Amino acid sequence: MEIDHEAINHVEVLYLRGRLDAASARQLKDKVGSLGQENRVNLVVDMAGVDFIDSSGLGSLVSSLRTVNKVGGDVKLSGLQDQVRSVLELTRLDRIFGIYDDSTTAAKSF
Amino acid sequence: MDPKCVTFIIDSDVKNVPLVGMSVNRLCRAASYSALDAFNIELCVVEAVTNSIRHCYGGKGGHEVTVILTLTNREIVVDVCDVGPPISPGVLEGAVIQGPPGDVADIENIPERGRGLGIIRKIMDSVAYRSEDGKNCLTLRKRLPTKEKASA
Repeated sequence: MEIDHEAINHVEVLYLRGRLDAASARQLKDKVGSLGQENRVNLVVDMAGVDFIDSSGLGSLVSSLRTVNKVGGDVKLSGLQDQVRSVLELTRLDRIFGIYDDSTTAAKSF
Repeated sequence: MDPKCVTFIIDSDVKNVPLVGMSVNRLCRAASYSALDAFNIELCVVEAVTNSIRHCYGGKGGHEVTVILTLTNREIVVDVCDVGPPISPGVLEGAVIQGPPGDVADIENIPERGRGLGIIRKIMDSVAYRSEDGKNCLTLRKRLPTKEKASA
C-alpha cells in the first residue's frame, strides 16, 4: 500500500492507495503514530484508492482513531469505494467515523 | 455441471494472501457472482487465510496454507486448511461482529481486532470447522446467485 501525505491548513490528509489489510495495516498505524508525536492529530484518511479492506485494515483505522482521540484529535474518512463502505457498514464502524465524499470536504469539516 | 476445483498453496506470509484473494474474486466473477458478492467472498477467504497464518503458525512464514475452491452448479465451497494447533472449540460458534458500544464516544472500548470470524459468519451461507490428525480446515459455502441476480 502507498501512503501520500498532504497538509491542508491544520489538517493532515493521508491518501491511501492499494489494499488496507494484514500486510499494510502496520504501515498506517506507524504513519499516524509519527504524526501523533508531532501533535498533528486532525487527520483525513482518503481511501479513494483503496479497493480492498479486511478486519486488519479496520483495526488500523480504529487504532488510529484511538491514538489521535487521546490528544483531542480525530480521524475522518473520505472517498470510500462502495465495497469498502459496505465492510464498514457490516461491522458498524461507519458509526464511529465521519465519512465524506472527498478529502477537501472532510478537511473543511474540522 | 461437474464440480470444478482449483487449489492454491501459499507460504504463511501475509504478503501472499492477496494472491489468493484476488484469484478467488476473479473466479467468483466468472461464476456470475456480482462484484459485491465476489468482493465479500474474497474478504472471507482473506480473513480465513490470515487467521490461519496468525493463529496456527504464529504469523511466521515457512508453513503452508492450502485453499481449495470448488465450484458446483449450486454453490462455491472454499476450504482453508493448515497443519498445526486447532482453534478452540466454540470459537467459531461464538464469533460475532463486535460493533461499537452504545456510546460511540467511548472509543477506548471499541476493539481493534477480533472481527474476522464474525465477518465470515455474516457473509457466508455456512461455515464449518474440522480438525483431524493435525490438519485443520475451515469450510466456507455460498450459494450461487440465481439467474435473475447474476447480471449485476
